Amino acid sequence: MKIAIVDYGMGNIKSIQSALKFLGVEDIILTSDYETLKVADKILLPGVGSFGKAIDQIKSKKLDLYLNELVVENNKSLLGICLGMQLLGSSSTEDGLNHGLGFIDSKCLQFDNKNLKVPHVGFNQVRVNQTSKLYDGFTGDVDFYFTHSYQMTSDANINQCYCHYGTDFIASFEYQNIAGVQFHPELSQTNGLKLLKNFIEKF
Amino acid sequence: MLRKRIIFTLIYSEGFFMQSRNFRLQKVGNINWLEKNYKFQNIAFSLDELIVLNASKENKSIVEFSKTISELVNNVFIPIAAGGGIKTMEDAELLFNSGADKIVLNSVLLENPELVSSLIQKYGAQSIVASIDYKKNNELLEVFINDGSIKISMSLEEYIDYIIGLDVGEIYLNSIDKDGTGFGYDFETIDNLSKKIRIPLIIAGGAGNESHLIEGLKLDYVSAVATANLFNFIGDGLPKARQKIIQNGENIANWYVDN
Repeated sequence: MKIAIVDYGMGNIKSIQSALKFLGVEDIILTSDYETLKVADKILLPGVGSFGKAIDQIKSKKLDLYLNELVVENNKSLLGICLGMQLLGSSSTEDGLNHGLGFIDSKCLQFDNKNLKVPHVGFNQVRVNQTSKLYDGFTGDVDFYFTHSYQMTSDANINQCYCHYGTDFIASFEYQNIAGVQFHPELSQTNGLKLLKNFIEKF
Repeated sequence: MLRKRIIFTLIYSEGFFMQSRNFRLQKVGNINWLEKNYKFQNIAFSLDELIVLNASKENKSIVEFSKTISELVNNVFIPIAAGGGIKTMEDAELLFNSGADKIVLNSVLLENPELVSSLIQKYGAQSIVASIDYKKNNELLEVFINDGSIKISMSLEEYIDYIIGLDVGEIYLNSIDKDGTGFGYDFETIDNLSKKIRIPLIIAGGAGNESHLIEGLKLDYVSAVATANLFNFIGDGLPKARQKIIQNGENIANWYVDN
């Protein structure tokens, strides 16, 4: 198994690498190189930081074109994590209105309830969807670790699962060969490891 | 429902982990000691988050500290926040690259707010924890920076407004008077300040047993309870405390044991 983690210079990828290693993935590469992405079995798009800056970095490395070709046109499996999930969607209002990769139809807005502490930080319960491959073996509400100020919504049917913080927001989605999780599986103890294992083995 | 968090804070100084009491440090052991006595991966399974603070006085080398961080994070699948002595973008970058998921800022919040805003721009507010050390002097609440050694001119109330204005992600509020005593948190102060704090609040200083943690977890405005008390939570102290807290019905996360 060869997993490529997309390198666009943002975020802590050590935790993700360490989780994949723990799960027995032999070949884990951090890369922004087209040929390397092309030969990988699966791609992970991580992300910490702000949407605007991230999409600029992605475009400057032509990763938007590479990912579109490999993932949208040629169906390579992709998992976006946290900001990485948000970047797969249409837009976000973080740093002004910015367009994302547009692989799915969604938008990201700030949590705007005055009674909520923002960012949304900590473990929260995801209402898992039984038809979702990512949650194979899970039932009911499952705790995952979140840390974010913007939340994703979508009217499309992308097999989304929800979490509640003032409002329902998308905690994860699975659309054909593309998946995204708003939480950090690599920071979610055994629940997270199990989800990553599902992505590796079943997605 | 958003869960409350239990956080352990490791105090690091010149290669060793320390027990702190009112900010006076006592050497406990190095990373091998920690591994031997704490079986760290097991301990981490009882925690929602780990904070590691560099309190070195003689040689506050971020390079040495970051090596310890990278050893600590192996096979620990929880968020790790690291800080102590961050003065530049490069210092922060080194800690992130060593496996920190968040960084903890203290003196630099006052001394270099421009750096704080650059860090937020690059890593996002959710990656920045603002650490505030305070002490009671009669009725006055005084704030100290530089490992508790320098008193600043702002009061705690003013300082919290200032910190919130910097748009950091979380506040780590630590009572120097209660630090390491095991007498319980300074709930009076926490309660008085809670209305000002519109971002996640981590309380620290004074927890000596699980009842103290529970008392903190019950407060609406407290997002997380932290303890740095190596002595009181040694061995299986933390796993047992978490178990009791869950039995007590507190709102904390569950994770599947079988994998």
